[in-house]
Amino acid sequence: MTVPLLCTHGQTVRLAGKETMMKRSKTTALLLMGTAPLLLTACSEEESVREGLYTSVEACVEQTNDRYNCEQAFTSATRLAEAEGPRYASREECIAAHGADNCNEMRTSTGHSYFMPFMTGFLMAQLMRGGQPAGLASSPAYRSPNGTWQRPASAGGVYRAGMNGTTAMAPVNARPNAAPTVSRGGFGASSAGRGGSSSGG
Amino acid sequence: MRRIAIAPRPDWRERAEQAGFVFHTIDGAPYWDESAFYAFTLDEIEQGIEDPTAELHAMALDLVDEVVGSEQHMERLAIPEPFRDWIAASWRAREPHLYGRMDFAWNGIGPAKLLELNYDTPTSLYESAFFQWQWLDDQQRAGRLPVAADQYNSIHESLVEAFGTIAPSLPRPFLLSAVRESAEDQGTVMYLQECAQQAGIDCGLIAIEDIGVSADGHYTDLSDRTIGTLFKLYPLEDLMREDFARWLPTSGLRLIEPAWKAVLSNKGILPLLWEKHRGHPNLLAAEFDDGEGVLAAGWVRKPLHSREGANVTIALPDGRRLASEGPYNGPCIRQAFHPLAQFDGRHALLGSWVVGDRACGLGIREDASPITRDGACFVPHVILAEETGVLVA
Repeated sequence: MTVPLLCTHGQTVRLAGKETMMKRSKTTALLLMGTAPLLLTACSEEESVREGLYTSVEACVEQTNDRYNCEQAFTSATRLAEAEGPRYASREECIAAHGADNCNEMRTSTGHSYFMPFMTGFLMAQLMRGGQPAGLASSPAYRSPNGTWQRPASAGGVYRAGMNGTTAMAPVNARPNAAPTVSRGGFGASSAGRGGSSSGG
Repeated sequence: MRRIAIAPRPDWRERAEQAGFVFHTIDGAPYWDESAFYAFTLDEIEQGIEDPTAELHAMALDLVDEVVGSEQHMERLAIPEPFRDWIAASWRAREPHLYGRMDFAWNGIGPAKLLELNYDTPTSLYESAFFQWQWLDDQQRAGRLPVAADQYNSIHESLVEAFGTIAPSLPRPFLLSAVRESAEDQGTVMYLQECAQQAGIDCGLIAIEDIGVSADGHYTDLSDRTIGTLFKLYPLEDLMREDFARWLPTSGLRLIEPAWKAVLSNKGILPLLWEKHRGHPNLLAAEFDDGEGVLAAGWVRKPLHSREGANVTIALPDGRRLASEGPYNGPCIRQAFHPLAQFDGRHALLGSWVVGDRACGLGIREDASPITRDGACFVPHVILAEETGVLVA
């Protein structure tokens, strides 16, 4: 039997709004250790994630009618691209992954040269709680020469991208500049041992 | 940062034992202490601990690249010659790492100061990730802490995520291992097994003493199967000293933590960090030390390999000297003395957790002595908004 364990925020990458994000695990179920009944807890509120891929702030506004958040998402995606975007030791590797004219030479503080692709789009994800926006996340996105889209796998992930040149990329399935898709976050239905009460906080 | 008294949960011992936390009392002395907690503001956590941890972690990983490429650095870190190529190869292959803990001296004022990296066999994981979390949850339900209270602790989620991320690359079978007789270490590997299984990885436990080796130099389990990946809660530098380790470089066994963590679990990384980032606000001055001679006032001497605060000598700025006993010897480093935070007569050491490459949680140990030893109590923490009052039952 597969037991849903963690309430997730779907494909949400890093939530920008500090005040909306807990600094602790949503739940810490232990199924095997000890003798307690399952400590499964449900996410207490209905949550969903609205996510879209855009090639410009204007395209984002056109789809969402939300200029403020589109600009926020673009700005933070740009920052993330600098910090966590893919890095290549040579121009050839960068061009192979991102196409000619898409690669920029950079230098570390100690003078080492490396190459990063230009961000060609950004993902904006909004966490919706009870129908209200409760958090904003964004990630840089890059178009491959074959037309598919990718984002750094570690944007919000547990391993950093670009650790000395190896960058894990995750595919982006959304179509660019289309209406945002909605996905449910949080499994929610399962709760045992605690009478279905919330995980608190 | 404040230390606040609170009523312990009346049933905390039962809660601990139900959840497999059998080492809450060690040798008759309490190890888990919930008669008080530390309170931080969100800014203190994020700017004071989380951001510096992430930055120092990145600086440390960048150094690994330099160290494994330099015979001279390997020599200074006293890494045994037969294992150097193995360590360098594990780094070049970017064999995945799981976790580490940085220890900070900080009282909430000025920048936190890095005392050391515990990047190979960090302990207090289970109590940081799980039992501390459950304490907050219980105290909120009991109305003794406000529902708005939070905790810097996504360690559990991050562990499950990390295992899920590295799962496809791990050779199987995957076993987790610790010393048989250590209840604390066995509890920690059971917890990690739980996290790995929640990430969908089929894995098992084996006592480190039970690992075998086949005629052709592969490490094996009790059914003589070749072990693919071994999580070992056992110091790499100890492994490398033992005769049984001679097959490690050629056996194909994948280790977690990987061999390259030998660079970071070594106190020699502290002077190397200082040489490269001299004056960094979160670093203390540090130098290699031959372990001989009189330590000048204001310095602390630690062996390259020392755990749980053993064999540390402190020459306090006022000239008084403190020393802890222990089994470690060999080359040392010295580090500028920086006092631990003191609250209610106790010395608090802040353990800042990194899972994968994510700074994700905090565990605090308290000791009556300025040197934090293995008998130090674990005290939970919360994040409280400054204006929020604390309900104390």
